Amino acid sequence: MLKDITFGQYFDSKSVIHKADPRIKIVLLVLIIVFIFLAKNFWGLGLAALFILITMLVSKIPVKMYFKNLKAILPILIFTSIINVFYGEGDVLFSIWRFDVTTGGLERAGFMALRIILLIIASSTLTYATTPNDLTDGIESLLSPLRFIGLKTAVHTLAMMMTIALRFIPTLVEEAEKIMNAQKARGADLESGNLKEKVKALIPILIPLLFSAVRRAAELADAMECRCYNSGEGKTRMKQLKLHFRDFSISFITLIFGTGVILCNIFM
Amino acid sequence: MSVLEVKGLSHTYGGNTPFYSDAISNISFTVEQGEMIGIIGHTGSGKSTLVQHLNGILKPTQGEIFIDGKDIWERPKEIRKIRSKVGLVFQYPEYQLFEETVYADIAFGPKNMGLSGDELKNRVLDTCRLIGVKDEYLQKSPFDLSGGEKRRVAIAGVMAMRPQIIVFDEPTAGLDPKGRQDIVKIINDYRAATNATVIIISHSMEDMAMLADKLLVLSKGEVVMFDKTENVFAQGEKLRSIGLNVPIVTRVFDALREKGYDLPKDVFTVSRAVEALKQIKAGDRNA
Repeated sequence: MLKDITFGQYFDSKSVIHKADPRIKIVLLVLIIVFIFLAKNFWGLGLAALFILITMLVSKIPVKMYFKNLKAILPILIFTSIINVFYGEGDVLFSIWRFDVTTGGLERAGFMALRIILLIIASSTLTYATTPNDLTDGIESLLSPLRFIGLKTAVHTLAMMMTIALRFIPTLVEEAEKIMNAQKARGADLESGNLKEKVKALIPILIPLLFSAVRRAAELADAMECRCYNSGEGKTRMKQLKLHFRDFSISFITLIFGTGVILCNIFM
Repeated sequence: MSVLEVKGLSHTYGGNTPFYSDAISNISFTVEQGEMIGIIGHTGSGKSTLVQHLNGILKPTQGEIFIDGKDIWERPKEIRKIRSKVGLVFQYPEYQLFEETVYADIAFGPKNMGLSGDELKNRVLDTCRLIGVKDEYLQKSPFDLSGGEKRRVAIAGVMAMRPQIIVFDEPTAGLDPKGRQDIVKIINDYRAATNATVIIISHSMEDMAMLADKLLVLSKGEVVMFDKTENVFAQGEKLRSIGLNVPIVTRVFDALREKGYDLPKDVFTVSRAVEALKQIKAGDRNA
């Protein structure tokens, strides 16, 4: 069913990562990604893996939720690994036609696969542990320096658009389902037929949906104007983003592991 | 043989997730050909869920539905045939209009049933005549009509399929008194012309008193009463206990009776009230 599509995949398990400041979380994710790419050997990557394993445990998000995301990129994972298996040096284990599979290649493939898995898990943690609204708030705040280059209201407008879009996705999904049922009741056939027929069968759903989306947008704009909304300067927020002790400790721990990764590169 | 039989029908939303909830449970009732059934119940009592089972939009978690004695889910692939037998007019049906002209929109349902050519044209024109969609509207865009006219066209789109059973989910919601009267008239006209069985969900006890032969009362997904309209409205206390009520005119008569006036108990519509009062007036004059 349409309802099963989740957009923004917040999972409320009330951990310290959930409570942390979204700005810090975004910046730290970027840092973690950088460290993952910096790691040159298995020691460094292993250290990064250990760190990410700890964040997984701390986040209290069920492991099967992470697997759901990993499953989605499985084709990419397999493809990268297979390609990398053939690009290595070292002892030849066996050959397929003209391509040699070497110990170096296997090592390389494993390294790449682990790297991708870590990237996915790290970014999943951010999206699972942060509500879409917090995310947009964080992005808005992080982009706010753009006002110095003349994009004064653009950042806020963009963030507001993102927030509204996220807010209305469930509403539109519900609406689409209602319209689908109504057209089904009028004998519309949405399941069978070839591709062309299937696309044509979508018209009776898309037109009313588009119509109601535009109507909703106009109503929302009126309602916002009635409450004197403007995206200009001097706008304050009800929910202020504030840094707490936990934000500093999380950043500190991340930096320690990051330094560890770099030390592994040098000494191992 | 009853035209519609519902047997032990249950539906659970969100089956295997921790968020599952029983929308309706163990509902059974039978409807005879040509009857007008009203379904009443508090918001969230499962009325809409129930009617979406009658034409196979929703599949029962448990239980069966028989139309003319045949289980509608016997051949799941042919469920679309059921939809031309049982028409369902959703809440706010005007939001399902999509064609460029009113004519094309009304023709959508019958076309899906396989009608074409003159047969299709006659079907659309007959339906328009029957429920008063004016000829000059036929080539207009449905999006240019007023709210009440849009709803009339949307209802025509379902009626053009000539269902033997037609189900309305709150057909008068959001309309002004004139619009409500129009819709009630459309339903009565369709019934008179086709002898169809009609099922209506409504929050208006007054509409129900005027229209329905029998009432199905739902509360928390279960059938509380299924009886003739007058028998249901005779049980004011029971209705109030589940968040419903009797028609206003009945409440007025109840209050007057409490004050000691000798008035009949079976007054549910304004016309019946007028009749009862006239009788009393005549009695006074004779005395």
